[in-house]
Amino acid sequence: MPDRGPRGQRLFWPLLALPGTVWITLLFVAPLYVVLAVLFGGVDPILRQPVPVWDPLQWNFSQFDYVLGHIVGPDGFFGPALVRTAVYVALASGVCLLVAYPVAYYTARFAGRYRGVLLALLIAPFWISYMMRMLAWVNLLQNDGLVNRVLSLGGLYDVHVDWLDGRPVTVVLGLVYGYVPYMVLPLFAGLDRIPAAVQEAARDLGAGRFETFRRVTWPMSRTAVVVSLLVTTLPMLGDYYTNDLLSASPSTSMVGNLINNSVLTPGQTGQAGAFVMLVLLVSIIPMLIYVRATRSGVEVQS
Amino acid sequence: MPPVEHDSFGGRSLFGRPMQRRSFLKAVLAAGAAPGLAELLAACTGSGTGVATTAATPKIPSPSNPVRWPLSAKHPAIKAGLKPKPGSTLRIYNYADYLGPQVIKSFEAKYGVNITVSTFNDEDEALTKIASGGLGLDLYFPSYDSLGKLVGAELVRPLNHAYIGNIANVWPQFHNPWYDLGWRYSVPYSVYTTGIAWRTDMVKEDIASRSNPYDVFWDPKYAGNLAVIDDWHTMMGMVLLRSGIHDINTAKPADIRLMHNQMMDMLSKTHPRVTITMYNDLPAGQYGLAQMWSGDVVNAQYYLPKGQSADVLRYWFPSDGRGMVDNDLMVVLAQGSNPVAAHYFINYMLESKIAAKNFGYIGYQPPQNSINPDELVRDGFLPANLKTATVLPHYFDVGSRLLQLPPKADLAYHQIWQEFKAGA
Repeated sequence: MPDRGPRGQRLFWPLLALPGTVWITLLFVAPLYVVLAVLFGGVDPILRQPVPVWDPLQWNFSQFDYVLGHIVGPDGFFGPALVRTAVYVALASGVCLLVAYPVAYYTARFAGRYRGVLLALLIAPFWISYMMRMLAWVNLLQNDGLVNRVLSLGGLYDVHVDWLDGRPVTVVLGLVYGYVPYMVLPLFAGLDRIPAAVQEAARDLGAGRFETFRRVTWPMSRTAVVVSLLVTTLPMLGDYYTNDLLSASPSTSMVGNLINNSVLTPGQTGQAGAFVMLVLLVSIIPMLIYVRATRSGVEVQS
Repeated sequence: MPPVEHDSFGGRSLFGRPMQRRSFLKAVLAAGAAPGLAELLAACTGSGTGVATTAATPKIPSPSNPVRWPLSAKHPAIKAGLKPKPGSTLRIYNYADYLGPQVIKSFEAKYGVNITVSTFNDEDEALTKIASGGLGLDLYFPSYDSLGKLVGAELVRPLNHAYIGNIANVWPQFHNPWYDLGWRYSVPYSVYTTGIAWRTDMVKEDIASRSNPYDVFWDPKYAGNLAVIDDWHTMMGMVLLRSGIHDINTAKPADIRLMHNQMMDMLSKTHPRVTITMYNDLPAGQYGLAQMWSGDVVNAQYYLPKGQSADVLRYWFPSDGRGMVDNDLMVVLAQGSNPVAAHYFINYMLESKIAAKNFGYIGYQPPQNSINPDELVRDGFLPANLKTATVLPHYFDVGSRLLQLPPKADLAYHQIWQEFKAGA
């Protein structure tokens, strides 16, 4: 009897972690291993489908070498697409933040009794498939679409912008439009947690509106900003359909397109694995920043 | 009124055919000894993208090098004189909207067989699923260059010609085609050319009257206003044709270098869109000019917005026939449980009336003797402004065909395509 309580507890707490562990194992670790097995595996000689090799001792690194060897240098034709990805994603995330922060701030602080409604409206875009929303833009941005007609004030001016002809700006704005709702929610959650009393105290102690924001609100929302940036940046890194739908021109190819192209090309599937690993490595860095940020966030609170 | 979504219409394998094709003869030879794929694999592990392992170049089927496939020992042809079982199911595997629904209904009514149609987006997806074997599919619509893979992996069943008397209705070229001598495994389904389509309201010149119409894809005037087909060999073949190289399967280093330079030049001059949805995008006015399959331009007229007359559509294919011409096939899959109904269906599709009806729906021309290619406009298959989308029998004698490439050339082509698509 006496040791039953502690023992039950010893089992109980790890048990709570079980669903999460199973989930992560099944849906992250195992697939990641499959990616590795394909990346370092072989190719079916007739149908050119990838044949995963499960034994790491028999792994073949030629596909990985091939990708790495074509990023920089005279044969570095993957390089521009990777740089493009970084620039597009950085720009899109920046614009997302510029749009989402004020919205989240307003909702958290000033929406009053409308905040429930506002939140629902902010989530509303989720109710419509991402694909549908992008296809809608294709219609709007067409040469004779609504956007051009509005810009030309109903035919008054001759505005002839071919939005869909492979313009980086269209792709970046498409990304912003697609991912901005994902940013508003974590920002709202973070800003909502900042006690109003702290901000009032800052005002009481003589800080102006801007000073209060700079010295109190912004530092206290930094964790939320990092989280929201991660939530939008990571999926953007793998996005290819925004690009396919709004541009479809190689001149705006991103790493997601490289992955998609390789997956669809028999015999090149392993290269897709290589790009996936590259993206993963690159995205681990912000992940570490995030972990640090949340840790320091806890310290501030306590 | 044709349907929505003709995704990757017409049976062109979209990606990487030669990579797949290059080893099929080896596989076919090996198939005689009936080894599993796994053993073949073991021998070839590590043949990644860049690695051309096949030492001896296998015989490549081409018009000058016809191939007679070995008859499968594992899957013999069916016996003559059988009847499809009423109430049984015929499982068809095809591109979306590449088979007229009325044709399906009338076959079901005539033979009491239920038809299910499953669809795929591109041939690589299709081959993967067929190879998995569990789907029990009876009938498949590949392009001629997948045949080697299908035979090599013993996925198809030889045809019993006793059931397919209607082969007589088909153009004589296809009675003994070079890709399948004695049509042991396949019958032709549709024929198409690859040319240039444009809209007269968005392109203010007559492309066809240019001395070299292919030049438009490099004309900065049309930057952002054009698209090329998202199929590496189809697009690269066009680049070669533009330079006057009619051997679009060339392995000469100088030709390949030229092609590479031309493609990078195109990218910087006109940054084309690379897609297969021209049949939708061109009518929608997303661009005014596109490399296009003849069947797709026929379909495009049904995708025009309301009030937009189909008169604006034009299609160019070299009038001497020296462009890209291709054809799709029907084959009986070995895994199916209803090969008898499959044979009946093939024969049914070759019936002149049925083929014509189906043509009216899918927009891709069947190689039927009864359909007079010179009179497609009069007979209501094509509008007058798209008469050039007609596929004439003699194109198959003079046109360029997309063939398997020798491993080294295949690698070079793929690398250029990858570079092109990466937008370097």
